[in-house]
Amino acid sequence: MGERVTTGAVLLLLWWTSFLPMDQAIWLNLPPTGTKCVSEEVHINVVVLADYVVIPDDHSHQTPTISAKVTSPYGNNLHHKENVTYGQFAFTTTEAGNYLACFWVDGHNSGGKDVSVNLEWRTGISAKDWESVARKEKIQGVELELRKLEGVVQAIHENLLFLKTRESEMRTVSEKTNSRVAWFSIMSLGVCIAVSVFQLWHLTRYFQKKKLI
Amino acid sequence: METRKRQGFAKFFLCLGLLCSLVRNLSALSITVNDVECVYEYVLYEGDTVSGNFVVVDHDIFWSSDHPGIDFTVTSPAGNTIHTLKGTSGDKFEFKAPRSGMHKFCFHNPYSTPETVSFYIHVGHIPNEHDLAKDEHLDPINVKIAELREALESVTAEQKYLKARDARHRYTNESTRKRVIFYTLGEYILLAIASGLQVVYIRRLFSKTVGYNRV
Repeated sequence: MGERVTTGAVLLLLWWTSFLPMDQAIWLNLPPTGTKCVSEEVHINVVVLADYVVIPDDHSHQTPTISAKVTSPYGNNLHHKENVTYGQFAFTTTEAGNYLACFWVDGHNSGGKDVSVNLEWRTGISAKDWESVARKEKIQGVELELRKLEGVVQAIHENLLFLKTRESEMRTVSEKTNSRVAWFSIMSLGVCIAVSVFQLWHLTRYFQKKKLI
Repeated sequence: METRKRQGFAKFFLCLGLLCSLVRNLSALSITVNDVECVYEYVLYEGDTVSGNFVVVDHDIFWSSDHPGIDFTVTSPAGNTIHTLKGTSGDKFEFKAPRSGMHKFCFHNPYSTPETVSFYIHVGHIPNEHDLAKDEHLDPINVKIAELREALESVTAEQKYLKARDARHRYTNESTRKRVIFYTLGEYILLAIASGLQVVYIRRLFSKTVGYNRV
């Protein structure tokens, strides 16, 4: 009897937790006209996973539909859906740069009200499928959580190395610009002197030809 | 024996489910702010720490050395302002959510030029003694793991902030580099043209002389 109660309670709790969002997301408010875009700068070979759902404001009308479009930094269309209330897209980046996801309300929706869209956008380590890792390596519970944390630490390390290379690139550009400023300023003085010498020489020759000097 | 195994399984699944519910993550997104742009985030538990950062990534750097900045406001589900930052070009923020519900994070751009803001919002929950008492299957180790996860999250958030600041610095650097090259070349060419015009003008002044001292 006691065991049945505990299993019942456990099942109830499991059912309840399954309704909890596994990963939080942001909500956007789409105006009746106009597009709302979010972007992120992603490097090469990173998994990008996203889900979007239209949340209806009131239950009396039907759920308004939206359109979504995702473009790569070079303009390639990665995902384009019209007239949907939910959708998802996943891709591995082949170009480094700004990935843009745009949403707009479909024109034929009646009522000029704002539409709220729930967007869940995950890149890199947060897009990793831990369930398949758990199944493949047969780990569970605390060990799985620690494995996730280990993944996060590795991602932090990689990010740090990436920031270091970016900083060194920028330092090179800064130092080049610094030396260029010095050289160009001196050259500008040289150009000034050269131009005035040329002027004097040309005018002297001209006046001598005109026999004014 | 079998019932004990079943209970063990149920315990494992419950722990997994509860632990999974504690994982929250979000990538650093950028949004273009023309006037006011708002982003909403749902806070599940009262007392959760909401942390994050935002950086204004300039597209066009013009003549003033200081960025005018944008305003940032956080509104609770009840409608009162929890956190405000005015006229800043990027900052970190952290506060304890006074109640659960949908919180509004707004960026206000007081100027006419659109600005791109890269932001990151994270809601962290650490199970406390109340949660531990409510569910006897929740181990104290899960609290420690949650604390560790939150600490790693704060490191990741700091990295995202640094990356956004680095992107902004990069724009400034590129703009400086282009300005140095093009403005100096333009200066040389204009100097040559000005002196050429001077010579042409002086020649014209002297070209129509009839006498010696006509000019």
